[in-house]
Amino acid sequence: MLKIDNLHASVEGKSILKGINLEVNAGEVHAIMGPNGSGKSTLASVLAGREEYEIEEGSITYQGKDLLELAPEERAHAGVFLAFQYPVEIPGVSTTNFLKTAVNQTREARGLKALDAVSFLKEMKEKMKLVDIDQALLSRALNEGFSGGEKKRNEIFQMAMLEPTLSILDETDSGLDIDALKVVADGVNKLKGPNNASIVVTHYQRLLDYIVPDFVHVLYKGKIVKSGDKSLALELEDKGYDWIKEEVAAL
Amino acid sequence: MSEVLTTEDQLLAGFEGWLNQHFEASSSLKTIKKAGAENFKKLGLPARKSEAYKYTPITKVIEKNFDLKISESPSSLTKSDCESKFYADEDANHLVFINGIFVEDYSKIISASSELTIKVLDDQAINEHSELKSNLGQVNGSQVDPFAALNLAYFNQGVFIRAEKNTDNKNTYIYQFIDGTEQTVLFPRVFVYGATGSRTKIYEKTFISGKENSLNISIVESMVESNAEVRYTKLQNYTNSAYSIEGIYAHQDKDSRFYTNTFSFKGAVVRNNIYINIDAENCEGHMNGLYQLSGKTHVDTNTSVDHLKPHSYSNELYKGILDENSRAVFNGKIYVRPDAQKTNAFQSNNNILLSDTATINTKPQLEIWADDVQCSHGCTTGQMDEEAIFYLRSRGIEKTNAKALLLNAFANEALSEMQNELVKEEVEAIILNKLK
Repeated sequence: MLKIDNLHASVEGKSILKGINLEVNAGEVHAIMGPNGSGKSTLASVLAGREEYEIEEGSITYQGKDLLELAPEERAHAGVFLAFQYPVEIPGVSTTNFLKTAVNQTREARGLKALDAVSFLKEMKEKMKLVDIDQALLSRALNEGFSGGEKKRNEIFQMAMLEPTLSILDETDSGLDIDALKVVADGVNKLKGPNNASIVVTHYQRLLDYIVPDFVHVLYKGKIVKSGDKSLALELEDKGYDWIKEEVAAL
Repeated sequence: MSEVLTTEDQLLAGFEGWLNQHFEASSSLKTIKKAGAENFKKLGLPARKSEAYKYTPITKVIEKNFDLKISESPSSLTKSDCESKFYADEDANHLVFINGIFVEDYSKIISASSELTIKVLDDQAINEHSELKSNLGQVNGSQVDPFAALNLAYFNQGVFIRAEKNTDNKNTYIYQFIDGTEQTVLFPRVFVYGATGSRTKIYEKTFISGKENSLNISIVESMVESNAEVRYTKLQNYTNSAYSIEGIYAHQDKDSRFYTNTFSFKGAVVRNNIYINIDAENCEGHMNGLYQLSGKTHVDTNTSVDHLKPHSYSNELYKGILDENSRAVFNGKIYVRPDAQKTNAFQSNNNILLSDTATINTKPQLEIWADDVQCSHGCTTGQMDEEAIFYLRSRGIEKTNAKALLLNAFANEALSEMQNELVKEEVEAIILNKLK
């Protein structure tokens, strides 16, 4: 589904990603872990098409297409979804109105008919249950004055509504207490299927107790320096990142 | 050798003759109008360095674009031409002004005079209504602005609107038609008197059919008696040859409410002077506005709310979206006088610049002499929030739609006090259309 090949990216002249290789297949959950500043969020941003990053080398192929050629909205239409680490507050636009525009533009791009008001509301009610989100929250301005947990829940709710093929969760656990974490993880797990895949970017192993990864990759200084199964995450939780740094330094 | 005439002299050159032609020697209005001309002479047009017109060199603009001859412009508009522009609000009053003159015959007035009096502002009205006679040209500092003085001198057949005690009145629409084959200078004048406990809602809109330059010098004066409410909304979607200097002067008595909404979209140079005088307790004064400009349109908003007595509230919100080479000026003054304890006064002006060549000059001004008050003001100017655009795009919303969604939400905040759905829908449609 996704193939990242020798990806180099920089922002404002500073190299952040220095040769990422990663392959993600349908049905898989990949965790990207790593110390602060290793390039985790940059990778997530580059996948979603954030424009301030410059691609210096390498390629990203998604479902046979050159992902880097697509505008952010085209990526969304193709099924890429980024759950933001810091969801943006948008005053004056209700979550419901925003999502209706997003869902219908995405549906039209995918060759489906736009949903009318009734079917949209029905769809929304179903997906609300998944993340246990309140109707009152959705009629408020998008993310404005939401708590950290509410914002993250809203991200997963949007994900449920947009039915992505490839979801990228950028530090979705940051700022969440354990109950909110469970709800969010539960939502992600319910959306998991044989035809879609997830990349979970996280600093801590904690989230991976609830969203169990098939593969764990350690990103350090802009490269994937170690890959393994879920036991690697536990090892990192136990021993921290220093031993990885030492291993890299020894090379 | 010919004497060099000042611009003020040129503007008043035909005044005496015009006055004698239109008014009898015994006319009360004639005396008032003479005083207006004298006052204009005394005040003079704003000087080059005038603080009040700092970013809008209005005198230069007038000198450059007008031949300064003031004469009544004939119009070929028919009654049905005018009626075709009326809002689809059957149960309402529709008032027609052509080139600044209230045309009663073309208007549709359905309110009973026991509720809402609507009549030509002339000698008869002045003689019948002492509240008009003693306040015309005097409401809240209108005598210190040269354009208000010039309007007082030259207005002919304005409209007098009086809401009787404890009446909740139907909507009143005022349509200003500016029509002529030559340069048009017009002086519309509206006087609104809200008697105790009454409610009045007025919506003003302008249609410009001529191609030549027009100079609209318009004045609205309003006296809002105790526990009365007056709402005055203006929709300013003019043309590139329209120059407009407009004043709204309101005086509030106790427990009264005054609301203004101003929506400006197009014009050559538009200046709005909006001054509210809160001279009693428990009043509410609201000023809301949006200027969404492009091309070379220049809109200058100059507001003031003067709190003279305690326990009142004022709120002011102006939003601006500026594209291309447009320019906006905002100056908002709040005065809280020594007696006005427990005043709550808020002001906010937020602007988004969509191009590098658009300009905003914004200046909030608070002068507070009382010590137990809650006041705040703030102005922001910036570009569109790129992070917000990316967020929307990442959800599948196309770039131009994402921008329109954000700007529309930004602009719509200025519509929060609009109750008239017809006018509101029209304003919303103009906003959206301009975002395309």
